Amino acid sequence: MKTLVVFPNKELLYAASTLGGEVAALVFSQKEAEAVSGKAHKILVAEVDPRLPDAAAEAVAKAAAGYDLVLMPSTKNAKTVGGLAAQKLGVELLVDVLSMRAEGGVLTAERYVFGNKAVATVQVSLPAVVTVAPGRFQGEPPAVQSAVEKLALAPTSRLKIVAVEEKSRGAVRLEEAEIIVSVGRGFKKKEDLQMAFELAKVLGGQVGCSRPIAADLKWLPEEHWVGLSGKKVKPKLYLAIGISGQPQHIAGILDSRIIAAINNDPSAPIFQNADYGVVEDLYKIVPILINKISKLKGG
Amino acid sequence: MKIAVLIKTALDTGQLRVRDTVVVEETPLKISDIDRNAVEEAVKLKGKDKAYGVTVLKWGPLQKKVQEAENVLREALAMGLDEAYLVADEKLLNASHIATAKAIAAVVKKVGADLVLAGEATVDNYTGQIPARVAAELGWPVITYARELKVEGGRVVARRDLEDHVEVVEAPLPAVVSVTREINQPRIPTLLAIRAAMKKPINRLTLADLGISVEPKISAAYKPLVIQRKKIVIKDGTPEEKAEKLIQYLRQEGVI
Repeated sequence: MKTLVVFPNKELLYAASTLGGEVAALVFSQKEAEAVSGKAHKILVAEVDPRLPDAAAEAVAKAAAGYDLVLMPSTKNAKTVGGLAAQKLGVELLVDVLSMRAEGGVLTAERYVFGNKAVATVQVSLPAVVTVAPGRFQGEPPAVQSAVEKLALAPTSRLKIVAVEEKSRGAVRLEEAEIIVSVGRGFKKKEDLQMAFELAKVLGGQVGCSRPIAADLKWLPEEHWVGLSGKKVKPKLYLAIGISGQPQHIAGILDSRIIAAINNDPSAPIFQNADYGVVEDLYKIVPILINKISKLKGG
Repeated sequence: MKIAVLIKTALDTGQLRVRDTVVVEETPLKISDIDRNAVEEAVKLKGKDKAYGVTVLKWGPLQKKVQEAENVLREALAMGLDEAYLVADEKLLNASHIATAKAIAAVVKKVGADLVLAGEATVDNYTGQIPARVAAELGWPVITYARELKVEGGRVVARRDLEDHVEVVEAPLPAVVSVTREINQPRIPTLLAIRAAMKKPINRLTLADLGISVEPKISAAYKPLVIQRKKIVIKDGTPEEKAEKLIQYLRQEGVI
């Protein structure tokens, strides 16, 4: 088995090591090469701008020669690079893979499909390209001797990056949050969200939201948005307040350990997807929860 | 500017038919939601030229699903596309994305489009790889995850919405662009437009018609994901009592 890791990080290098055999890393600068030194048998350095998917894909397609599997992270840019490289190489690309094993020239991998309502077990002949879902491969890549090699290529791109605008990022890291208090259309005014922030504060958690709050009403920045096209989260407690529970929202919270919901509509679908549901007006119960929990924590 | 819009006739994940496995054959098709945004953008940009819908049927059985797919395409035609191409072939009813991209690229060449628009991902499989693959197949530049798009002087300029930042990216035409839901508000067709769509052509093609052959080396099985939630609902009592009860449960679980 020979695996090439592109945009290497600890998780991907560990995932590659679980498959056995040789692990190589493709990086796009000398600095990145130093960072993976001792974690891959071979380090290939391609001096192209990895933000340009066509140039990066050219490097991947060239570096992939002789490898059984190309592993990448499941970021939007990596998926684009993966799609381009896979079509150039005439191989399949599996994205957001949860688990995988290789045997007899065939890769068997699992991924969520159909709005995260089903798991697909996919079998594909190697070589193939795979992007790995975050948080699934936790471990240390073994220490090895690294040989560094330059990948000779004249990168061409027809894309031009005119400007880069950083998204305003507060301290919100929903993917890593242990407790998430999430808000939906049950809140009548933007100012009322303050209650949720207070509850999150006493619980030591962060605030998430459903699509309408971020995308339509724009009451919260998109970094709070939980769901299929927002953040996929895995807290130990997900407390959904005034969220009806549309399938796209549920798809983002499947990996939560406990889901609790507060909604005044007893027929809200969120109750079918929650461990504990409370049928109540959020405006009445949230202040009580803040009060009780802060006493609990204080005492 | 001639535009080809990729439209996935996706499994309606809200109506999955489930036994031991997901019964794909019995699950209805619908337009992949984000493709509506691509259609809307095409209708806005096409000017006096034509905009074509391009679909590759991925779910069988062929005969039954072709009919459903045509109904889905009528929706896109009612939104303002001029014509649709439906590639329906037994050899495409599988998980191969290489084959899908080849078929789409062949249709794009056939209609002579200058711009390909697609949704950022499809609602059933959500892989988002087809726009990049089609671009590779055509040898065109690709801009993915566009939340704003302008076409001027033979170039496309897009705001590419990535995880931590937005890139303003420029590419020469012809090009492939995938769009996010934020790019526009898809129109709801009028009754008149729906009627007019009944007369617009839907051209059915096979791989042989396109002169391509594919040999997929991939297979997939779909199991419903059963996550058993406890579904304990607290309905009775005062808000005070309900809050107390909830806290008690959450403490028992050790999560607060």
